[in-house]
Amino acid sequence: MPWKQGYTISDERSLTDSELRWPDGARCCVAMTVDLSVASGPEGVTAADLTTPEALFGANQGLAALREVLRRHAMRATFAAPAIIAHIHRDLVRSLTAEGHEIAAHGFRHEDVSGLERDEERQRIARTTEILADVTGRKPAGWFSLPRQGDRYAVGAVSPNTVDLLLEAGYLYLGNGLADDIPHYWVSDFASRRALLTLPYYYHFDDQFFLMFPRKGTGLEHPDALLRNWRGEFAAQYRRGRYFHMTLHPQHIGWSNRLQMLDEFLAELRGYPGLWNPTAAECARYWLETYPASAHLRLAPSIWQDYPGSLS
Amino acid sequence: MTAIDLDQQLVELRSAADAYAARHKFIPDLTWPEGVRIAVNFTCDFDAMLLRRLLNEPPMQLAKGEFGGRVGIWRLIELFDVHGVKATIFTPGRICELYPEALRAVVESGHEIADHMWEHRVPKEPALEEDHLAKTVAALERIAGRRPVGTRSSHSAALLRRYGFIYRSERSADQRPYYEYDEGGGNGLVNLPMHYVIDDAMYFNFNWLGTDASAQRITDPERVGDIWWAAFRQQYNVGGYLNVCMHPFQSGRALRIAMLDRLIGQMKTLPGVWFPTCEQVARHCIDRYPPRAPSE
Repeated sequence: MPWKQGYTISDERSLTDSELRWPDGARCCVAMTVDLSVASGPEGVTAADLTTPEALFGANQGLAALREVLRRHAMRATFAAPAIIAHIHRDLVRSLTAEGHEIAAHGFRHEDVSGLERDEERQRIARTTEILADVTGRKPAGWFSLPRQGDRYAVGAVSPNTVDLLLEAGYLYLGNGLADDIPHYWVSDFASRRALLTLPYYYHFDDQFFLMFPRKGTGLEHPDALLRNWRGEFAAQYRRGRYFHMTLHPQHIGWSNRLQMLDEFLAELRGYPGLWNPTAAECARYWLETYPASAHLRLAPSIWQDYPGSLS
Repeated sequence: MTAIDLDQQLVELRSAADAYAARHKFIPDLTWPEGVRIAVNFTCDFDAMLLRRLLNEPPMQLAKGEFGGRVGIWRLIELFDVHGVKATIFTPGRICELYPEALRAVVESGHEIADHMWEHRVPKEPALEEDHLAKTVAALERIAGRRPVGTRSSHSAALLRRYGFIYRSERSADQRPYYEYDEGGGNGLVNLPMHYVIDDAMYFNFNWLGTDASAQRITDPERVGDIWWAAFRQQYNVGGYLNVCMHPFQSGRALRIAMLDRLIGQMKTLPGVWFPTCEQVARHCIDRYPPRAPSE
């Protein structure tokens, strides 16, 4: 495609439905992210965030209930853990891997990195990687930067350096991107075709934007809309043979009416034959091998022209 | 305040309202070609990440818009083609430098390409405004092989007329197409009314038109499909018009394409539903109900 720095992250066109293949002839990929952050603002997890009944519920009963539902439906998820959460709940986080789940990095404290100097961001990535490797016994393969309920934009924040630094630090994938609904490449340098595999995220499948949103006490509880989004997207993506993804928070989805809804939805979903439910790292490895950037990233030089009085 | 002041206010406000009303000529007896009961325009605002870029939004927001070019527009073209719908794609001129392949596919399928500003803004300076419109017309003409005749923008009517435009599709002073004239009472254009109730961005997009997170009531396609079907039914019953405004980065998501597929299928079960381009509707109005300017 005509590449344009500062506008596009990838090539002009996604893979079509007919170009997609999943392992062992599976029809649709189903991926789940569980966000372990309790951060409410751009500074990331604070003492105030950690000392709320909701945080306590999320780390205890909420998480236990969610794990039980996942176990019942034999679903594996990728848990996005800020380093500080892995540090505080060391045994709990480690125990998730024994159930086949993956632990991925979610920032040092799920802070907003968009304004950080390159060196500081590099240090934060290094320290986060070290802490998670120490807790889980292996280096995390993936990095997330998910949105928080109070963020201005429901998409997650990265800096201009994040993708490049993650490649430098040996990360296999970025866990949340919005340019596609299947894995795709986020190009950090056009000339060298340097790119990081990015997995899809969309806020319409993220529990936190439907359950007592924008904040508790509003009475704006819309589990029905969330469920219809999950159902609608799953049915459509299954028919196309693509990828279905959902994002969950133990402190939100773990609570009675919502947990029941998730349980019923997963039971429905499990009725469909040919689902592939990998962890994010498994999906990334498959993708990098089957659709390597060298053959599948079709980047054409920019045809953008600069004019006076126009955007550059 | 004296009684004289109040009388003056009555005069001023009344004259403002009257002057505004006089610039709009409705077509109360509008009917459609033989056998047609309702005209439905499916329209896309194909700004992808361009508006996000213009507003200096962060990288992930731009990526959200990029979905429209990588995925969404292709699915919408396929959906329209399967249903025999001729759609109108309102395209910022700069999109020709970002998604030329998608725009060529739009043209090959027989859909209309219309103006949506050079880079999603109308400059205040008249010379720059004309420069932007001229660039857009040239860029769209290179892709489509013909000049655009419609716009979704607030470009000045005189300028649009000079560049050969015949219609605008913005706002809704009436439910049916009508004529709108500028402040001097000239430069009439057909307006094909679009209403935010029939705009995907109102339901699916975070931070549309500068709203903050606490204002968001993002919802599901079934609910939106019900609202749009109700709007269609009401206009069908009165022999009217519906303009559906979609953004490929939102309506191009798989769950919403499925909703639109059901909605169009449902519309097609009724007799006399016409799915023309906006240009066809505008030309029908001009041919059948020739404009008569307020000054005439």
